Amino acid sequence: MRLHSLIVYLVTQRRGAVWSAVALISAASVYVLVTRMKLDSEVLNLLPSGFESVEGLKIYNRDFAQVRDLTFALVSQPEDVDKLEEFAPQFAQNLREQPWCTRVLAGVPMETPEGIRDLQSIAVPLLLNLEPGVFNETVSLLLPEKMRERLHRLHFELEAGSPRPQIELGLDPLGVIAPALKPFASNSAIEDDQPLTSPDRTMRVFITVTNQQSLGPTDCQKLMREVKAFQESAKQGWDGGPLQILVTGRAAYVAEISLSMRHDIVVTLLASITLVGGVFYIGFHRWLPLIGMGLTMLLCCLVALASAALIFGQLNGVTIGFCAILIGLGVDFAILLFGRYQQARDEGIDHPGAVSEAVRSLGNAIFFGALTTAVGFLALMLAGSQGFTQLGVLTALGIFFAGIFMMTVFFLFLPRKSSRPRNDWMFALVKKYVRWIVRRPASILWISVPALLILTAVALSPKPPIIFDVSTQSMAPKRSDAGYALKTIMEKMPSRWEPVIGIVKAANAQQLHDYWHKVAPEWNQLQVAGKIKSFSTPAALALSPARLQTNREKLQTVDFQATRETLEAAIAAEGFNRDTFDSAFVLLDQLRGVADPSVPLPDWRTQLPQDSSWWFLVDRYFAHDPLLTTGFVTTHKPVATQEQKEMLQRELPVEGVPMVLSGWSFTLTDLVPWSQRQLVLISALMALFDATLLALLYRDWRLWLIQIATLAMAVCAMIATMKLLHLPLNLLNVLAFRLVLAIGVDYGIYVLLVWQKARQLDHDVAGVVKPVILAGLTAICGFGALGIANNPTLTGLGYACAIGLFWSLVATIFFTLPAAAAAEPKSWREESLQPRVQEPENV
Amino acid sequence: MFNHPRKIRSACLTTGLFLLLSSPLLHAEPLSPADLKTLLGRIREKRAAAPQMQADFQEDKSVKMLNKPIASSGKLWFQAPNKFRREAKGSSPSTTVSNGQVLWIYYPKFKSAERYELGRRSPLDAGISAITASLNLENVEATYNITATKEADGYQLQLLPRNPSMKRFIQTFGIRLNNELQVLRTDMVQPNGDRLVTTYSNENRAPIPASTFDFTPPAGTEVTTPMGR
Repeated sequence: MRLHSLIVYLVTQRRGAVWSAVALISAASVYVLVTRMKLDSEVLNLLPSGFESVEGLKIYNRDFAQVRDLTFALVSQPEDVDKLEEFAPQFAQNLREQPWCTRVLAGVPMETPEGIRDLQSIAVPLLLNLEPGVFNETVSLLLPEKMRERLHRLHFELEAGSPRPQIELGLDPLGVIAPALKPFASNSAIEDDQPLTSPDRTMRVFITVTNQQSLGPTDCQKLMREVKAFQESAKQGWDGGPLQILVTGRAAYVAEISLSMRHDIVVTLLASITLVGGVFYIGFHRWLPLIGMGLTMLLCCLVALASAALIFGQLNGVTIGFCAILIGLGVDFAILLFGRYQQARDEGIDHPGAVSEAVRSLGNAIFFGALTTAVGFLALMLAGSQGFTQLGVLTALGIFFAGIFMMTVFFLFLPRKSSRPRNDWMFALVKKYVRWIVRRPASILWISVPALLILTAVALSPKPPIIFDVSTQSMAPKRSDAGYALKTIMEKMPSRWEPVIGIVKAANAQQLHDYWHKVAPEWNQLQVAGKIKSFSTPAALALSPARLQTNREKLQTVDFQATRETLEAAIAAEGFNRDTFDSAFVLLDQLRGVADPSVPLPDWRTQLPQDSSWWFLVDRYFAHDPLLTTGFVTTHKPVATQEQKEMLQRELPVEGVPMVLSGWSFTLTDLVPWSQRQLVLISALMALFDATLLALLYRDWRLWLIQIATLAMAVCAMIATMKLLHLPLNLLNVLAFRLVLAIGVDYGIYVLLVWQKARQLDHDVAGVVKPVILAGLTAICGFGALGIANNPTLTGLGYACAIGLFWSLVATIFFTLPAAAAAEPKSWREESLQPRVQEPENV
Repeated sequence: MFNHPRKIRSACLTTGLFLLLSSPLLHAEPLSPADLKTLLGRIREKRAAAPQMQADFQEDKSVKMLNKPIASSGKLWFQAPNKFRREAKGSSPSTTVSNGQVLWIYYPKFKSAERYELGRRSPLDAGISAITASLNLENVEATYNITATKEADGYQLQLLPRNPSMKRFIQTFGIRLNNELQVLRTDMVQPNGDRLVTTYSNENRAPIPASTFDFTPPAGTEVTTPMGR
C-alpha cells in the first residue's frame, strides 16, 4: 500500500484507532512534561562552549559567593542629600535585621570602629606573611628605642594638630599592624573602585549577602518576594521627597528572567495563535480546519517538548521561542495541505479522494520543505551553545512531528461532507496575477529586480553600517527592575564598570601565594605603563606557609617582656591614656604566643568575624574553595573593542601562572568573532546545502539559478532593512540568517515544483501561490509574535526572522515567479495557460 | 525668718553674690530668628568687605588619648573661603597650610611633612570645614542649626551641625564675637569628648599675599600622605 493510500485508510476508515493513538501520545507527553521538564534560566548556557572566557564566567558564577550579593541603592532628590546621609545607617540596620540577609556593606569598613577591630583580629597572620625585609623592619619597631621614639613623635604631632596620630593610634598603637595590612589595604580601597556613594550624593549603595539556599529560579523568586516586601516597608522613617529603593543582583535577575519566561511563553503563544488563526480565516473562511490546525499544532508542541525534555532533561529559556516558531512553520504544512484538499473538494472529489490528492501532490514538497527547515535548525548545533543546540534539535523534532501530524491527525478535523463553494477573492486575485506575470513577466521584473538590487547594494555598502550590539544590556530583559537598578547605578557612578577578572587555581597554599606574587608585580608594571587603570589581587591574603614559618622563627628573637615594659614606660612618659594602648598589649601577647613553634598559627578565616564587612572584600577574591581565586583589572574604559580585548589577552597572563581571563564585557567582546563567523561561515554552509538540494530537486539550471538569486536578494534585503531601521544584530539574532535561508527556500520549492509539473499554469500555480502567501504570512506572524517577548534575545531573533521571511515571500512572488516565466519561451507560456480540464471559477 | 540682723546680713550677702555671679547671664539675651538673620547678614557684609584676616591664637586642646590638655599658641592667616595658614610656636612648632585643595602640616623639628588631599569627603574635610566656618561664617546657616545670644560685649553663637558627616566630627561648636563682629573665641566639642578651645587676638584685616597659602616642603623634608592608599 502506498503512503498516501495508507494515510487515507487510517484517517477515513480507522478514525477511532487514530484518535486513540492521539490520546495516548498526548497523555504520555503531558506525563513526561509534568515529571521531567525543568526550565534553565542560566543565560551563560546560551553562550558557546570552548571559549575560555565563557568557562571562566561559569566558574565565577558557580564558585564565588559574590554571586549571592544583592545590591540595594537609595536614590533621593538633590535637595535631600543630607537626609539621605542621615537615613542610610537606619536603612542599613533595617537590612541587617532581615531574615534573608547575612551581611551588609554600607560603608568603607576602614572608616568604622568595627571594621578596624576586625582588621586587627587578622593582623598576626598578615604580619607573619610579610616579605622577609619588610618583616624585619616592622618587627624592629618593637625594639625599646624605636618604640619610645615613635610614641614621642606621635605625641608631638598630636600637639601640632595632625589628624594622623589619632588615626594611627586608633588602628595600630603598636605600629606593626599598618605594615602588615599594607599589602591588603592597597587592595581594599573599595571607595576608589566600587564607590558606595555617588559623586552628587543622591545615591547610596548597600551590598548585601543573602542566605538563599540556591540560585535556582524557585529560591530566587522566593527571596525576591521577601525583598519586595522589604522595599515596600523600608521607607519608614524617611521624611524627604521621593525616594527610590532599587535592587539588583543575580538573584533579582534570575527571579525576573524565570518569571518573564512564563510570561513570554504564554504571551507569544497566544499572539502567535491569534495572528496565525486570523490569517488562516482570512484565506479560507472556515473555522473547523482552523481549530483542527491549532489542536494539531498543540499536539506537535506537546510531543516535541516532551521529546526534548527526555533528551535534554532541562530546557533553556531561549527554547521557549520554539513554540511560537514551530507554530509559524508547522502551520505552513497545514495551509498547503488544506489549500490543495479544498481545491480538490471544490472540484467535486470526495473526502478520501481529496485527502489522497493533497497528500500525494504535496507529500514531496512537504518532505523537502521539512528537510531544509529541519537542517536549518539543526545547524544551530554548530553554534556550540547548549541553549541553541536545544533550540535546533527541538525545532527540527517539531518540524518532523508537524509533517507527520499534519498529514494524518489534521485530516481528522476536516468535515467529510463538502460545504457550499464560496467566492474566493484571494484565489481569483492570485490567479489574475499569475496569468499576468506569465504573459508579461518583464513588466514586474522591471520593478522588482531594480528594487531588490538597490536593497542588495545597501546591504553590501559599508554605509550605513549594520549595528552590532555586544553590550551586556543587549541580553538583559527589556522591562526589568533589576536592569533598571543596574543602569541607574552605572549612570550615577560611571566608574563602577565591570572589571576583567583573572581566575587562578592552585594546588596548594604555597603555590597560590607564589602565583599571585608573580602576577601582582607584572600587573603593577601594566598600571605604571598606563595600559590598565588599576588592579587588585588576593596576594595579601594568599599566605605562604614557608614564609610564615621563617618569620615565626625570627619572632623568637624578640624579648617581649622588655617590649612590654618599654611600652608601659613610654606611655607614662608621653602622658598618653593607657586605655588607648589596650589592643597593643593584646597584640604583644598574641605575637609572643605565635613565636612558640608548638602553638598552632591562627587561621585568619576563623579569626575574622562572620558578620565583618571585610568578608565582602575576601569574597571578591576567594571562591568557596580557598585555592580558587580571582584578581580584578579595571580598564580605562569599559571593554568593548577587539583591540582592548587583544591587548588584555596579550598583557595580563603571566608566564608560569595558569590564568583564565573573563568578565562579562570581556567575554562578550571575545565572542564577537565567533558571532561573525556564525553569520558568515555557517550561513554559507546552509546556502551550500540549499543550493545542492535545489539542484537535485529541479534538475534545471535556470530554475536553480533563479532560486539562488531569490535567496541571495532576500537575505540582502533583510540586511538592508535592518540597517535602515537601525535594528541591531546581537550575539544571538545573527542566527536568524540561517533560519531565513532554511525557511525561505521552502517557498521557492513549493512554487517551482508545481510550476514544473503544472497542467494548467495559472490554475495550478495560483493553487499553490495562495497557500504559500498564507503560509508566509503565518510564519511572519509566528516570528513577529516573538517581538512582544520580554527576553531581548527572543525579540531580536523574532524581528530578524520576520523581516527575512517577509523578503523571502516578496522575492518569491515578485521575482521567482516572473523570472521562471521569463525563462520559458513565449509560446510555451501561452500554451500553458490553456485549460486542459474544466474547473469551477471559484477555485 | 529674717529678724536676726546676722541672718539678714547673710541673706543680703548671698543674694548680692548670686546677682554678681549671674550678671553676665542677666545681660545675655537670646536673639530672635529675625535678629539672628540680621546679625549673619552683617557678618557676611563685613567679611565680604574684607575677606581676609590674620590674628594671634591661643589654643587649648583636651584629647582623650592624652592625660593632660595641650596648650599651643601662634599666628593664623585666613583668606575666604577656605585658605589658611597656621604657625604654631613653642616646644612643638608646626606649620599648617591649606590652599583649599591640599593641606600640608610641616614639622620643622623632624623635617617632615604630611600632605592631605581635601575634597574627598574624608573626616578631615569636616574638620577643615569647621575651622574655616568659624573664621568665614559664610553661608554657615546651611551647614549648622544656629542659635545666638546678645551679650554686653558681643555675641555668642551656638552651632549644631545639620550634616551627618559633620555630626560625626563635631558635636557642638560655639563662637564668641565682639561688637565689631570679630571672632574672639571658638569652642569645639567632638563626639568622642575631645575639646578644642581657641582664643584669637590682635585681629587684622589687611591684605595677605597669595603666597602665604602656598607651601613647598623645604629640601630634605620627608613627606608622607597618611590618608593616601
